[in-house]
Amino acid sequence: MNLIQRMMIRKDLKRLEQRVHDEPSPSTYVDLGQVYINLEMSDKALQAAENGLALFPDSVELEQLRSFARRTGLKARIQDLRAKMTKSPNPKGYRELATMYLDLGDHAAVQSVCEECVVRFPQDAGTWMVQAQARLADFYRDLSARAGLEAVRCLEQVLQLDSSNGKARELLGELLFRVGATRQSAACLQAARPVHGAHDADLQALLKQAQAQAPSGDDVDTLFHEVEETGVLPNPPVTRKQKAQGEEGIGKIRDALAQLAEAPGVQKAAYIRGSRALVKGEIKDGKDPFLRVVRVLAKSAQRFARRLDIGNFSKGVLDGPFGHVCLCSYGEVVAAAQCDKGAAVDRVLADLQELVAGSLYLAGMRDS
Amino acid sequence: MTRIQETLNELRRAAGVRGSALLTPDGLMVAHTLDAQFREDVVAGLTSFLLMTTHRCLRENSMGSFQQFVLHATHGKAVFVELDTSYLVVLLDQFADLDSSRQEIQGAAQRLRRCGKMS
Repeated sequence: MNLIQRMMIRKDLKRLEQRVHDEPSPSTYVDLGQVYINLEMSDKALQAAENGLALFPDSVELEQLRSFARRTGLKARIQDLRAKMTKSPNPKGYRELATMYLDLGDHAAVQSVCEECVVRFPQDAGTWMVQAQARLADFYRDLSARAGLEAVRCLEQVLQLDSSNGKARELLGELLFRVGATRQSAACLQAARPVHGAHDADLQALLKQAQAQAPSGDDVDTLFHEVEETGVLPNPPVTRKQKAQGEEGIGKIRDALAQLAEAPGVQKAAYIRGSRALVKGEIKDGKDPFLRVVRVLAKSAQRFARRLDIGNFSKGVLDGPFGHVCLCSYGEVVAAAQCDKGAAVDRVLADLQELVAGSLYLAGMRDS
Repeated sequence: MTRIQETLNELRRAAGVRGSALLTPDGLMVAHTLDAQFREDVVAGLTSFLLMTTHRCLRENSMGSFQQFVLHATHGKAVFVELDTSYLVVLLDQFADLDSSRQEIQGAAQRLRRCGKMS
């Protein structure tokens, strides 16, 4: 690209940055991101996509831009790391490289990097683990016996090098359980119990299910081939602590909401996440006007705050003949309450804030 | 200087206030005193959008109208007070103490209402 072309693109860039600021829309963000990509500024393109998605979370184009910018950024980082690894290879670098390829979905490259690392550093459990994860992804996608058996081999190798690796044990236990080798799965998980103690709920839940289910056969190799032939996994995904935690999380939100709805002066309370809502108080159903007002108000207040450049809308109070409508918002979560005129609005707002923060904490626990 | 402008200027001197404006619901700016950070047309357009959306939504759901809306964002706050035929918009920074500014905002709203009745 010559100097004049670069100058023209820079000029375009300034114009687009101003346009995004003045008239934000998915297409203006995409245009801006495209120019950043042309200028090989994938970090900025990613940032533009993230900013756009904060305003227009349902935009498919912005999702595509984010994914493309992420991939472009990863490719650049892979090139840098490759160059470094040629000079001074080390297991950590190989793991990082393999993980980046895994993020890109290039499983053949993961395999080749892991093989290279295993030849140089055969005692590195981390590389075997990345390889196992790539193989597992292949198996669950294609149900190919070869990928499944390779995943078993890699996971066994991890456990041989590091028998306390709970994640590898859990993945192996689950894989064996899913193909019907419940006896082997239980044996594998039981071996973990002395290491992790009786409190590891994930492993215990897995073990419980593996022990309860009759085995489909004893030869693991045959079982994997049967899965490949029939295209069906005999056992369903394992129900884990995660689900129980999710239910517990919703229970906690519901309790907090009920407590809020019972506070003096509070008529209605709602917790909204995306298209779903939990309601307490004098609300009959999801068509209650209060819910509709809260959704519209949160959305328009967020748009107002973002476009005026004062950040994200966090909370608000609307006063009228209906009393007060108090809202607290973070991302796609909105908690709101309708109170009488004399109610302690500050107290209600503080409770709403706590409810939103608590629910995000629980969501974070579930995601981690 | 008109009394309206005088009232807005006075309010602008309160702690944490970054700007104040008097607007009609359809976004016509009657008077304003804003920080350089805020563009007059942007404030007018966005305020009109927010107020009209809120009004329409309240009306459609048989909840009447509103008298005041306080909005907190990560880098600032905004207060919208309904006057008889117009709205007072006060923009504040994120550290502004709304409890201490409340009296000044209500006082300014009161004076603006009187100005509206006299004219």
